[in-house]
Amino acid sequence: MAVSDIAIVATAQTPAYAHYNGPEVQLIMSCVNRLLDSTGLHRDGIDFTIAGSCDYLSGMPFAFVSNLDGMGAWPPVYESHVEMDGAWALFEAWSRLQVGDIDVAMVVGSGRSSPCNAREVFHLQADPYAMAPLGLDPDSLAGIQARALIDAALTTEEEIAAVVVRSRAAAIHNPMAQVSGTVSVRDLMAEPYDMAPLRAHDIAPPADGAAAVIIATGDRARALTARPVWIRGIDHRIESHHPGLRDLTDSVSTRLAAAGIGIGAGSAPAPPPDVAELHVTHAHEEIILRSALDLGDATVINPSGGPLCGNPVMATGLIRVVEVADRIADGRAGRGVAHASSGAALQQNLLCCLEGDRPCEGVP
Amino acid sequence: MGKTNDVDFTLEYPYTRTTGPVIGPWLTGLRDGRILATRIGDRVICPPVEYDPTTGASTSPDDLVEVGPGGVVTAWTWVTEPTSKHPFATPFAFAQIRLDGATTTMVHAVDAGCIDAMETGMRVMARFRDERRGTVTDIWFAPGHEPVTPSTVDPGAEPVEITEHLIGVRIREPLFPFRARFAQGLLEGRILGQRSPADGKVHVPGRGYDALNRVPMGPEDDVEVADTGTVTSFTEITPIQYHGQTETEPYIRCSILLDGADTTVGGIDVRHIPVGSFRVGMRLAMVWRPESERDVSSIDNRWSALPAGAYERWEPTGEPDVDPELVEDYPF
Repeated sequence: MAVSDIAIVATAQTPAYAHYNGPEVQLIMSCVNRLLDSTGLHRDGIDFTIAGSCDYLSGMPFAFVSNLDGMGAWPPVYESHVEMDGAWALFEAWSRLQVGDIDVAMVVGSGRSSPCNAREVFHLQADPYAMAPLGLDPDSLAGIQARALIDAALTTEEEIAAVVVRSRAAAIHNPMAQVSGTVSVRDLMAEPYDMAPLRAHDIAPPADGAAAVIIATGDRARALTARPVWIRGIDHRIESHHPGLRDLTDSVSTRLAAAGIGIGAGSAPAPPPDVAELHVTHAHEEIILRSALDLGDATVINPSGGPLCGNPVMATGLIRVVEVADRIADGRAGRGVAHASSGAALQQNLLCCLEGDRPCEGVP
Repeated sequence: MGKTNDVDFTLEYPYTRTTGPVIGPWLTGLRDGRILATRIGDRVICPPVEYDPTTGASTSPDDLVEVGPGGVVTAWTWVTEPTSKHPFATPFAFAQIRLDGATTTMVHAVDAGCIDAMETGMRVMARFRDERRGTVTDIWFAPGHEPVTPSTVDPGAEPVEITEHLIGVRIREPLFPFRARFAQGLLEGRILGQRSPADGKVHVPGRGYDALNRVPMGPEDDVEVADTGTVTSFTEITPIQYHGQTETEPYIRCSILLDGADTTVGGIDVRHIPVGSFRVGMRLAMVWRPESERDVSSIDNRWSALPAGAYERWEPTGEPDVDPELVEDYPF
């Protein structure tokens, strides 16, 4: 099947709030209104809307239905929802536009983690017989993964800390970031362990927030913006939910997805991406992902500071797309990769290759 | 006067799952004091699997072999602050453990006492709880080499074919500002709504936004509406006598369009008006509870309603009915 050209034509995100004292709808609404303002579209110009959110986090069955208030439930359109990060909603929207009967879709990811302990929610992603009854949460499995990586001599605690140092320094320039600042590896190494060998700063702070994008097909995209950001490839791969059946020191699913979008080792000789925004919720994951994506010094990684500096769960993956798209739209990058992850210890990985009409003009 | 509360509740669901042909025997084995794994060729996989992870071919209960109870830690983390869902309330390790005889690892909890007792490559031994019911939490691990004989269970016990897992999440947060103002208003004898800056329509209770026009609403949009209104729809509920039912007589739940409002308050409890005389278009007035008895603790951030703790009852005003056709756009 020939794949249609589809581009991101507008993006929006809220800050990552440690606690947003209002309904998720308000977060969504602020993004949706910004998207409509920037494109000049009216609500009835959107053919399809889709959201990614988590009812368990909200502690309310059918919370995703209330969230439609923020998207403007009138007039009715084709509508869908994934109980996944908004990046997966983007994948469904992209697939939906490939059908060819409609041209414009709006994608939202949103979540408020502050009312609960997210660790007490996300262990429910694990196998319901062998793991969930143990409360085996993503942070615990991340600790095990970091240990495996260190034991295999693929990284050190200092290298993991260096990821945090670089991320926080980058986030100084990101007004949406929840944490930022200048810290040193030495300072961080003096902190106590949380999920040893991980320390608290190695783990992304859960936040409240939302992000949204509008995507459109070829000519419609060019009509809506002078600087469309084309989705050149999007791929999603899953590994076993039994950690014992995986090599936790590698991300096989990321390698497969990278091959699917023409990035990384073994791809056609294309220049490396200018920028990569990676869904790193535990600092050591960046080291695994760099290797799986074969990223070298030519690619700037997480110039926004990444999820370690703000993790509005269920929007975090879509924000990676927004951060890359924004840099391509304003000329700071020509081509980039957005990565989203779901499940524990990088179990599921989604990659999206984005490219503008012009080459990189500056520093991402 | 009553007071407004922070939101604090625990939402729980009991999940019941069948165990199937492979997990069932595994859980039955844990209850009976042994750990089973699936043998596929040279591989011995624990926890056992219903499908070959490489080919997808079905496995069978005949492929189950016993492994452990000892094993080797291949990777681990130290849980400094256990969550309420973890098997231990004090710090412990989660570890990948390759049980003796297995070729893969399983993740489980190791009660090691302190982080310094943990290292990759160490030997651990399964410990079986005295009371076991066929779940993964029937066991835990401890450092050491010597097996501890599990207590015996009733040899006539049935195979484990069902698991029950109570899941739950505790939600704690302040009332949203517009909710807190609504609750405070009721305590003071006022019903607050919010007037949309986009179209002037008054929403009761306010939700902090106007969904139709997609505009946020704040304190500047608060307006007071009347405690009188018009019935726009109702239902008569005949209580069914299920366990825990406290109702015995039929009663009414109705929606009321308060004077000055453009949205209805729903689920209003009516006890003092005969069902036979209740009708759409009827004019009602709210009889407030005395200030000292008003209870707005049911107000949270999730459900929009006028709490029953604010009023004693609703009674007819005696005014002529409103033409039902005039309120037909306000069914809920």
